[in-house]
Parts: sequence; C-alpha cells; structure tokens
Amino acid sequence: MAVAKDPHLALRVLYTKTLAALEKLPKDAAYRQHTEGIINDRFDLVKTVPNVAELEQKINCGQIEQVIIQAEAELSLARKMADWKAWEPLVSEAPEGQWKWP
Amino acid sequence: MAASLGRLLHSSGNLLRNGARLKCQPLHTAARALCSNTSGGLTTIRPKDEVMKNQLTVFGEYVAECLPKYVQTVQVTAQNELEVLIAPEGVVPVLSFLKDHHNAQFGSLADIACVDIPTKPYRFELVYILMSLTYNSRIRVRTYTDEITPVESCYSVFKAADWYEREAWDMYGVYFSNHPDLRRILTDYGFEGHPFRKDFPLSGYVEIRYDNELKRIVQEPVELAQEFRKFDISSTWETFPAHRQGSKPLMDTQGRGHEAPPEETPAEEKK
Repeated sequence: MAVAKDPHLALRVLYTKTLAALEKLPKDAAYRQHTEGIINDRFDLVKTVPNVAELEQKINCGQIEQVIIQAEAELSLARKMADWKAWEPLVSEAPEGQWKWP
Repeated sequence: MAASLGRLLHSSGNLLRNGARLKCQPLHTAARALCSNTSGGLTTIRPKDEVMKNQLTVFGEYVAECLPKYVQTVQVTAQNELEVLIAPEGVVPVLSFLKDHHNAQFGSLADIACVDIPTKPYRFELVYILMSLTYNSRIRVRTYTDEITPVESCYSVFKAADWYEREAWDMYGVYFSNHPDLRRILTDYGFEGHPFRKDFPLSGYVEIRYDNELKRIVQEPVELAQEFRKFDISSTWETFPAHRQGSKPLMDTQGRGHEAPPEETPAEEKK
C-alpha cells in the first residue's frame, strides 16, 4: 500500500462527504446516529491532531492508510443505505418453524 | 438503551472490541490452569467466557438495530459464536454493512455453506461465515430459500463468493441471481442432479464404465452388488434432552415409542 500523501486532507474530504450522505437518512435511524457519532469523533481528531503518527495512535485503528480505506468504505455504505432504506421495519418474517433447531 | 449503546460504541470506535482482544491472554491461562487438574476440577470443559458472550450480544443487538428491515433474529451460541438470521431479500445489504461499517469491518468471506433440511418450508439454509481481521472475530449470517427462489448473489460485495455460490448451485441447486458465471464446479460435465441434497442417494443414479465395443466411457444406471441395507440405528439414550417437546414420546431400545407417563392427579389416586 502506498504511503498517503496528505492523509488529513483525504480524511477531511471523505468525512464531509459521508456526513452529507448520512443527511439523506432519517434522523431517528440508528445507523445514522451511530455512524455520525463515529465520523464526528474521528473528524474532530483529524482537525485537532496535525501529526500523523499521533493521529494514528489516537484513532487506534491501524495505519492512517487503513483509516482512509475504512472511511471510503463507510462513504459507499452510507450512499447505498439511502437506496436500501434499511431503517424500515422487518420486510418479511420467517415462516413458522424455519429457524427451529433441531 | 439505544442512545447509551451508541455513546458506548462510538466514543472510541472500537471500545466494544478492545476488550475482546485483551481477553485472549487470560483465557489461555485459565484453560491451562483447568487442564492441569491440580484440585480435581473438570479438565476438558472450556471455561465459560461471560465477557465475550456479553460483547457478542451487545454487537448483535447493534446490528439488529442498524438493519431492522432484514434482521429477523440474532443469537449467540454456547461456544460464543454470533449468528444473525436475516430475510433473503437482505443478503447484499447486510453483508455490505458488515463489510464496510466502522464497527463491523468483516472484510473476509470465509465460506458460504448450505444446509438441506427437507422438512422445513424453505428447505435450504444458506450460511455466510465472515471474519474480521481488525477485530479478530467471526460472525455467521443465515438465510433461507427453496429450490426455485433465487437469492441475490453477493459477488458485488465479496469476490470470493464467486466459487462458493457456484458450489452451492452445483451441490444443492440454490440459484443466485446476478452471478457472473453460475455453472457446475465440482460435478462431472454431464452430471444430472444436485448431489448434496438429502433425497439424492449415496451411490448416485448412474455409474460409468469403459465399453470396449463403443471404445468410450458409457453411463449406465448404477448396479450395486448387494442391495441397500437400511439399519435402524436409534440410540438407547435420548438425543437433545434440552429440546424435548412436551408431547413427544420417548423411545426404547427397539425404537418403539412410549406414551408419556400419565400425569397423576391426587384426586384420582385417592379414588
């Protein structure tokens, strides 16, 4: 994996885009609330900590390049969640006895 | 509860899982202490890890909370394995969530297994086993389908699903829609049938031999030297005592059923 040239900028861009994508979900959706919390915490760290090594330590989730990959994944997920509308109630119940074991 | 859970989980992003990683060391020492049998304790019983179980339950509830449209149940087995039971419409959303979300990050699809239980309404049960390398944990996602209902292929989420789904199609006949290349992978080229189904016989239907006159391999219906013998192997002990149903009769050694002992009512006794 190539070393990221400007991780702070990359993370700033990704996090703003993700937060914009999350705005499209309803306010009471659990996914939106949890994800906004995570993104905001990391965003605050990115804004306050200029040193990359120290930022990696504080985020505590591997190398900064890995953090960038995670942010990209979360962005694509947030966009897809708006299409799937996963906050709605259960779409179909399992038929009687389907999950019975043995 | 949801709000507090959210605060707990996103305060550091992986507060939930840090404990899981740290717990590995004490578990080894506890197991070793038990195995040494100094005080005559049980040697081969795995110690119950309540902390791990609690963490898994919390994470399971988190997943159910984030995806209420597809998750039907969440359970944690006795061996501390998390299972998420979902509706078949939600295969791609749930797997994408588990792969991409910060708190999940299950980036590796270990296997897609299929279970054939002919008595159930949807006879095939699909099991996706995911692994998280960042958090060192596994999760199982289970759905159901029958012979004719297609399931959305998760090739767009996990490229490894390509061959796993081909195997499920070949062995069971589970059809995956939007699969790039769904064809047989393990059976012979002209093979008919789906071998792992419960109604497919162990010997198969055809056998092959080299025919000298035709100078090629021919397929003929299988002929066994001895006719198939079915043994009634019923155990003398009751299997699954934890899942006993109230009205189910118990068996004796010959496989004959007994009726459940009649409930004694004191009034009738005295008569």
